[in-house]
Amino acid sequence: MPAALHSYTARRIAQTVLVVILTYVLVFFILFILPGDPIQQQIENPQNPIPAADAKILLQYYHVDRSGLDQFWIALRRLAQGDLGYSLTTGKPVASLILQAIPQTLALASTALLFTGVIAFTIALAAAFAPSSVIRGIARALPGAFLATPSFLVGFLLLQLFSFQLGWVSAIRDEGFKSVILPALALAIAVSGPIAQVLIQGLNRAYGEPFVTVLRARGLGEARIVLGHVLRNAAIPTVTLLGLTLGELLAGSVVTETIFSRTGIGFLTQQAVREQDAPVILAVVMLVSTVFALTVLVTDLIYPLIDPRIAARPIPATADQASD
Amino acid sequence: MTEQLEYSAIPRRRLPTLPPLLRGLSVADTLALGFAGFLLVAVIAPQLLTPYDPLVPDPGATLQAPSLTHPFGTDYLGRDLLSRVIHGTWRTIAGSLVAVVIGLFGGIMLGIASAYFGKTVDAVIGRAVDVLLSIPGLLLSMVIVVSLGFGALNAAIAVGIASVAVFTRLMRSEVLTVKELGFVEASFHLGESRWGVLRRHILPNAYGSVLSLTALQFGAAILWIASLSFLGYGAAPPDPEWGLLVAEGREYVVSSPWMVFLPSLVVVASVLAISHISHFLRERVA
Repeated sequence: MPAALHSYTARRIAQTVLVVILTYVLVFFILFILPGDPIQQQIENPQNPIPAADAKILLQYYHVDRSGLDQFWIALRRLAQGDLGYSLTTGKPVASLILQAIPQTLALASTALLFTGVIAFTIALAAAFAPSSVIRGIARALPGAFLATPSFLVGFLLLQLFSFQLGWVSAIRDEGFKSVILPALALAIAVSGPIAQVLIQGLNRAYGEPFVTVLRARGLGEARIVLGHVLRNAAIPTVTLLGLTLGELLAGSVVTETIFSRTGIGFLTQQAVREQDAPVILAVVMLVSTVFALTVLVTDLIYPLIDPRIAARPIPATADQASD
Repeated sequence: MTEQLEYSAIPRRRLPTLPPLLRGLSVADTLALGFAGFLLVAVIAPQLLTPYDPLVPDPGATLQAPSLTHPFGTDYLGRDLLSRVIHGTWRTIAGSLVAVVIGLFGGIMLGIASAYFGKTVDAVIGRAVDVLLSIPGLLLSMVIVVSLGFGALNAAIAVGIASVAVFTRLMRSEVLTVKELGFVEASFHLGESRWGVLRRHILPNAYGSVLSLTALQFGAAILWIASLSFLGYGAAPPDPEWGLLVAEGREYVVSSPWMVFLPSLVVVASVLAISHISHFLRERVA
């Protein structure tokens, strides 16, 4: 078994590295090689043309005159040295733009992840165990409603209620942690639907298992059975959704940060896409997809530790469905 | 699995005729079907639903709150918001349709190729799917729309390409499952060609799950396209596209909140209605 486990681990790591590299290749070719030269467009931008002297530097730096493959090798060699290129609109190094934006988004995404957990668990527990059938029905319908709601609507509702009506948080000024709460809540509502659905299924399944009868026979209270045992069993499959959720949180921050006037990765992306600033977009996409790929890898590898029943079974030969 | 075996043994399933399909509708079913019918009329003949022109400004009636004459109020140029929402329906719905058709067609082709040819083809397509799935859909469609250029159609194409991977994965696993079933194997041995088996056995069996994913993706496409045009990458003003209406209303959200909330609620209602109808169809047809 350990030998099989090692080769499985090695294969999953190799697969992840391959996916990250191929993602870079794909996004690079979509942005730089396909017709519609982003650098030339930026130089001739009618609203904000770049002066000829600066344009020359840009053209030389990106070697637009060379073939697509050459450009790719040059970009790859620079990447190896930590050089992510320069923004086409501001001329600042992409690496420093990203580094500046990360703390804001880290605060937002981690708070949102916490809220996502709280919302999903609350909904699922209410859907499975609320005393009134009306509350159970509403809780069961909520995940679907969340999935159907565009994140800008949630953002504007929260702004309208808490900033404009009640005046608790400023809609524009940055007030530290207080300003994180509303956007994090908007993001959390947008991504908590699938987790709540998986949890509801898990709760119903775990509640029907024989161990519940055993626990009841041993005289445990219902609350203790649900919170201490059924919930733990039901929560295991949600671990596999962690990668997907993190990816959605980062992608969703594009809309949320725009609405709440925050200056993190999402806002940087929104600006970069609007200005067709290819080097910045490439860096952001690579950041998000690497976070996603690594999270999926880690959750795959630690899953047998969380759920020993998986480790007892032979490891499947293919892990293609890992991202599910 | 046994269920699939049972109904695929019947050579050709007849679709239920209309009356039994519509028997015993719940309140939610009726609401969803009614709203979908309303959307259909708004796509085909929007002028039947509203007397106002969506593009003609009325300087005497700017930023009016919802009232009987203007149920959704008016925007900053005095254009009737309800008529803008109604006339914008086909842009969003047709855009989502384009996106879903691209995703569905591409996914079916790649999924079948992957499962049928196996080995190298499967490995190549499999890695491509991994790569596409490692970028969140909305972000991937932004990357594609940058390379295609902004616009309503390009946003729809981008969303379509971004959803090819999920269809490919589903189709591949469906084909692989059905291919191993006894009656399909028997059919091969009886001299049926690969194409014949695909058409007679594999596609009809995959129909149910592909249909429900299609409905799900249709809803997602509406949300993504609305988000893209909200951010300014899709339809351009004065087009009354739903996401764009919300973006225009954003400037006036403090004084005229309905300009943001009413178009957004129409988006929610559309996605909910479509997902409900897909549930309903799955129960009644399959």
